[in-house]
Amino acid sequence: MAIKLNIPGTLTILALAALWELVVRSGAVTFEYLPPPSVILSSWRTLIASGEMAIQTLHTLRSILIGWTVATAIGVGIGLLLGLSSFARNWSLASFDVLRPLPAIAFLPLALLLFNFSLTTELVLIIYASVWPVLINTMGGVTSVASRLYDVSRTLRLTRSQTLLKIIIPAAAPAIVTGCRLSMGLSLIMAIIAEMIANPHGLGYAVISELQAMQPGRMFAYVLFIGLLSLALNAGLVWTSRHFLSGHRWAKNDHA
Amino acid sequence: MEGRVGGELEPIFECRDLDYSINLPTGPRRILDGITLDVYRGEFLTIVGGSGTGKTSLLRLLGGLTRTTGGSICFRAKAVDGPPDGVVVVFQDYSHALLQWRTVIDNVALGLEGRVVATTLRERVTKALEMVGLQHCASDYPWQLSGGMQQRVQIARALALQPEVLMMDEPFGALDAMTKAILQDELLRVHRDTGTSFVFITHDIDEAVYLGDRVIVLGGSPGRIYKSISIKLPRPRDQITSRQAAAFLAYRAEIHAAVRESTRSDGY
Amino acid sequence: MTMHKSRGISLAAGLSYAQGLLPLTMGLVIWQAIGPERSPYFPRPSSWYDSLVALFNSGKLLPALNATAISFSLGILLACAIGFVLGILIGRAPLLRDALGPLLEFCRGLPPPVLVPVAVLLFGYAESLKLLIIVWVSVWPILLNTTQAVHLLDNLLLDVARTFHFSMATTLRKIVVPAAIPAFLLGVRVAIPLAIIMTLLIEMLTSLQGIGSLIVTSQRQFRSAEVYGLLALVGVFGFLVNAIFTMVERQVLKRWPPAIQV
Repeated sequence: MAIKLNIPGTLTILALAALWELVVRSGAVTFEYLPPPSVILSSWRTLIASGEMAIQTLHTLRSILIGWTVATAIGVGIGLLLGLSSFARNWSLASFDVLRPLPAIAFLPLALLLFNFSLTTELVLIIYASVWPVLINTMGGVTSVASRLYDVSRTLRLTRSQTLLKIIIPAAAPAIVTGCRLSMGLSLIMAIIAEMIANPHGLGYAVISELQAMQPGRMFAYVLFIGLLSLALNAGLVWTSRHFLSGHRWAKNDHA
Repeated sequence: MEGRVGGELEPIFECRDLDYSINLPTGPRRILDGITLDVYRGEFLTIVGGSGTGKTSLLRLLGGLTRTTGGSICFRAKAVDGPPDGVVVVFQDYSHALLQWRTVIDNVALGLEGRVVATTLRERVTKALEMVGLQHCASDYPWQLSGGMQQRVQIARALALQPEVLMMDEPFGALDAMTKAILQDELLRVHRDTGTSFVFITHDIDEAVYLGDRVIVLGGSPGRIYKSISIKLPRPRDQITSRQAAAFLAYRAEIHAAVRESTRSDGY
Repeated sequence: MTMHKSRGISLAAGLSYAQGLLPLTMGLVIWQAIGPERSPYFPRPSSWYDSLVALFNSGKLLPALNATAISFSLGILLACAIGFVLGILIGRAPLLRDALGPLLEFCRGLPPPVLVPVAVLLFGYAESLKLLIIVWVSVWPILLNTTQAVHLLDNLLLDVARTFHFSMATTLRKIVVPAAIPAFLLGVRVAIPLAIIMTLLIEMLTSLQGIGSLIVTSQRQFRSAEVYGLLALVGVFGFLVNAIFTMVERQVLKRWPPAIQV
């Protein structure tokens, strides 16, 4: 994220917003339910003032945080195991490759069947989807530790646990952190999907219920807010990961 | 003067009839054949040979990073099974051999952590850094340093362990000529000040003669010891005067001839 | 390193890879063996197959599969075309890139599921809605990857074009387009799972025809064996799509040095 202001970019966005306002107000293009930015902004104000936006946001954020943390723990754990043990890899990788392309959303009806309309369903979906990037990246990070580093750990006569903690994990850290970032994005998506279909709480549910209540202004307000939230989460993660990996500045692999 | 200990030369490495083969998809390939060799305490031994003669394999065998497929290696009269205590290997690819996410001082401390008390650790690390002249870069990261300095960090890391033998696999191969010269002299200084034995692999004949008390020529494929030459040049050595000495040129010629013969005798 | 490429995977390598299927197969076998005769939550794998056959015979399965497959394929292909062309244009025009950059990033970052209610509100429950959303969701990774690749095009290559006095069209054709292809393919690879997810999601939310709505119907009727069976079907679908894409990718990237191949 650049600190310097992108002038053409900002102008474009402002211009588009102005155009949108104009086009809708003048009636040049009619979508029956497309509100102009001014209406969206005022709906936003109402939602914030009533505290409703806060409640829904908190629910979604909480689900994301819990789901993502559990997914990270599982993903790093299994990823480390698979990365360190070629035996484990040989006897399970193909199974993972079969499960991985299965879109998590296909599990949603299954989760509904098992857990009904509840937070559990939402969390299960988030965790299942978010485990994959962390797992794959952790495994990849560990298996691509430079072989020279293993020579080094042997010539310096480091113990197995010293090698793991001082060499393997720090070497794999950039990949692991990237995996965590990717999985955060997935957590948000899955949370919203789950809230739309399987758990009537949170921002996803709010959008659907405003749709059903025919409240376009409020619906768009939520939609835009979700977009901004996504940007904020990603930016936050990028900042944290840069801070976390401060010694790793040599690994210019982060795609912000 | 060769051999640091006055009087008897004491062997610390004893190799007898060392064989080393690897398994390629096309069948087994013998890399080293019948290597019989002693490394003496306190000596600076250089090993030269062309590519494919097994120099690196020999170093890895001595360093305990690879296992022999025939013959025996003993370090201090005990069979080598894994990296022996007192032997440290320094690699050519310093950027991969250092932990780029740790500062210089933390890199040098890597081998001592959890092994000695904090005060001893600090002492030894500081001393090692001073020996290679990097005391001012202690808080820098390796990726901020030049190639020559990174290699010095690797050497300091090895020296901090106060090893009996330092094995070096073409450590200056990736550096420019001037940095090479500076580091060569630094290495000689460390050798003089600490009495550590060195086993130094290189394909640079001039370097081998300049640094060594003894030069071993490895030749052929599979690699065999073709010649072992004592370098009786006075120490301390100097980049200008030593390299101009008649004896230097004679040794150089002798080794060049030996390398050429060893290649020809295997029908290249 | 030998330069020759083996023709596909050798039998030995294939077999040794397949041994990784053991956990999955064992899991299914055990489930089949110890699963209760009729379980509302964990029906045996054999019942999944039976339920799929029943669905097929009832004439509901094939049309749904058809609808999903067609929407997905059409959507991806359109997104490829739009993303590639726009990607090249925007990549070559720094001003456009700066101007549209934040907007594109916002669109890319907007969680796709949110678009479904928006599109429904604006366009109603139409089949074209499905295509629109799939294209929208798939186009961003493709567009942004292609833009990035064109933007980062080695200046050396552009200098080569100038020394040879290439026209703009020739430069595009001979240098820019080929250079953008690996990144483009990577973008498509990222877009594929997104497109599958969105296709299913739209079908689930709007009950437009497709596997997604079939699964939701089965779930609402508590026909668990059907749900599992359809799930497995989706898995097979995803696997096939990936396999086809990998084959295409390998063909296209045959001429590129291995480092660029993903």
